[in-house]
Amino acid sequence: MDRWEALWIVIVAATLGIFIGTLVAIAGVGYIPPSEVEAEYRPTDAVEEFKPGIRSLGDGVYEVNILAYRFSFQPNKIVLENPKEVRFRIYSSDVLHGFSIIGTNVNIMVIPGYISEIVWRPPPDFEGSYLVICNEYCGIGHSGMFAELVIKR
Amino acid sequence: MFRDYEKVFMRISILFSFVALALGGLFGFIQLVSRTPGFPRLVDASGYYTALTGHGVLMAIIWTAFFIMGIAVFVMVSELRVNFRKTLLGLTLVLTLGGTVTAAIPILAGRASVLYTFYPPLIGHPLFYIGLAVVIVGTWVFSAAVIDVFLRWRRANRGVGIPVGAFGVITTIIIWLEATPGLSIEVLMDLIPASLFGKPVDVLLDRTLFWYFGHPLVYFWLIPAIVAFYAIMPKLLGVELYSVKAAKLAYILFILASTPVGLHHQFVDSGLSFEAKLLHTALTYSVALGSFVTAFNVLATLERAGRARGGGVFSWVLKLPWRNPVFAGLALAFILFGFGGIGGIVNASLTMNYVVHNTLWVVGHFHLTVGSIVTLVFMSITYLIFPVVFDRNIFSGSLAKIQPYLWFVGMFIFALAYHIAGIYGAPRRVDDSSYMGLSPEIWSPLLQIGAVGGLIFWLSGVIFILNVFASLKFGAPATVNGASLSEGSGGEQGDEPTIFDRLSIWIIVALILIVIGYTVPMMEIFSRGLSPVEIVYIGG
Repeated sequence: MDRWEALWIVIVAATLGIFIGTLVAIAGVGYIPPSEVEAEYRPTDAVEEFKPGIRSLGDGVYEVNILAYRFSFQPNKIVLENPKEVRFRIYSSDVLHGFSIIGTNVNIMVIPGYISEIVWRPPPDFEGSYLVICNEYCGIGHSGMFAELVIKR
Repeated sequence: MFRDYEKVFMRISILFSFVALALGGLFGFIQLVSRTPGFPRLVDASGYYTALTGHGVLMAIIWTAFFIMGIAVFVMVSELRVNFRKTLLGLTLVLTLGGTVTAAIPILAGRASVLYTFYPPLIGHPLFYIGLAVVIVGTWVFSAAVIDVFLRWRRANRGVGIPVGAFGVITTIIIWLEATPGLSIEVLMDLIPASLFGKPVDVLLDRTLFWYFGHPLVYFWLIPAIVAFYAIMPKLLGVELYSVKAAKLAYILFILASTPVGLHHQFVDSGLSFEAKLLHTALTYSVALGSFVTAFNVLATLERAGRARGGGVFSWVLKLPWRNPVFAGLALAFILFGFGGIGGIVNASLTMNYVVHNTLWVVGHFHLTVGSIVTLVFMSITYLIFPVVFDRNIFSGSLAKIQPYLWFVGMFIFALAYHIAGIYGAPRRVDDSSYMGLSPEIWSPLLQIGAVGGLIFWLSGVIFILNVFASLKFGAPATVNGASLSEGSGGEQGDEPTIFDRLSIWIIVALILIVIGYTVPMMEIFSRGLSPVEIVYIGG
């Protein structure tokens, strides 16, 4: 190894170090992937205990419980009025699913046995509807598993 | 140099890999056409997922593993001049071929459409898992065969540095042995019992076990391609590798950090902590360092070769033998590898991963990596070693000259369109992404451009397959012999061994890193207690 090569290694290592530092820094302001959420009930009991539906906590804050199952979401039309902060809690009653709101950064796995939680701050000026899809293969009807998210102002 | 049974082994495993490539390519074609808006739908949803499973298993595991076994024998014997044990090679073939055929039956029957990543609680036919388990055992026998050759060489060559090609083969085997326990535990403890007896499984645990295996699998593919750059390309160009020591450093980085990085496939899984995910991000970046070191070394070697041919500061690029299909394939694959590597940094960054997870971006990414730096390099190596292994020349030299360029152009278009579609959220692994007309309008044109690129590199694959099979029948008797290929290949033999040649130390460090990397997530999974769920049979 000559000095150019050593220099290259130092530059690359420093760049990668900066990348990691950036990830830690933005995690500090709350950009953290969904983690460590477990369900206290079995998937088969989910419909009764998990209570799918929309709950308004006032001041534009919502909590939305969504049940994912082959091959649909419940509810599959989610209407929110002037949302500022939305906490999605998604639970699968059968196999692995995905939950992706197209055009946003909401994109998480839904693992049976665990609740997937993600907090979303919608763009303040957006009005209209988003397409929500299951983006993990779940069986033959996978492409028919989607929902609509409507934002009203 | 090669014993007869070694030649038979190379012929069978390499030919079988071409069969897998051809069949996997056919499945790829069916998928590509069927899922693209405005293209004829060749199969229904069930056929699509059968093709998808077949494409994944054949390309990711069978094509790569069989070709790698063939080339590993070639490199070990020609560099180290030590022969393999016949019984181990024979047993390898029996197990790997038998296992592949066993697994192929339920796949083709549509009874195992769980995709190559398995993803329980979807469960397919037991023969699918049993067949793959047998393949894995076969690869362990092969690993033993390689290690045996290596140890016999080492005993006779104390105090000598390991030649750079054989070093790569050993690296590949070490990574394979690091990785496969994860898959074996998942298959034996969960998937086979689930498939036979309906045992409930913990999905998060199985995902974690799969990706413990799934990421080092990437390096299992990649290292043999890198061997081509370190051991074959310099010889082809008549120069020395720029830095043997840096090559070995890269191998060691791959040995150290290829395994404890699997969580970067699970960044958006719940049930795993941010700290564990961050640790795996950091380790992923250290593997990336190995790729950057390789990039420097290969480019510096290319420059050396170009300048030796009279090139200047920039014109050395033009002096390289671009009409030689072996060189062209290697160099073009290397360019695609650059894009694949940079995209990989995005995938590995745990917050950017939100944007691209499970989208076509990922499909674009791994077609640049396993689909180009690996597949295109293996095709190029084929042009080089075919006369040695099969005693016949390649049937059509002019088709061989066009083929790598066609692959490059097609893949570039395909990957670019799919990366962009991924940023717009277009999902992977779906037979139809129209969502009753609700999908963003930009998806369709991007998918269509991608399909044009896909068809171009598919055509390149067809040309390759036809050319090699035609060569078996109509190729002229070989004019290249094995000795001329490997002459000087041991250029490093006799060199002082570096710190990187002390493999046992690095293996211990690698094991420590694996323990650190996986203790955290496993403690999280087990400490809260498993939550097994009922399985869902597929296609049965």
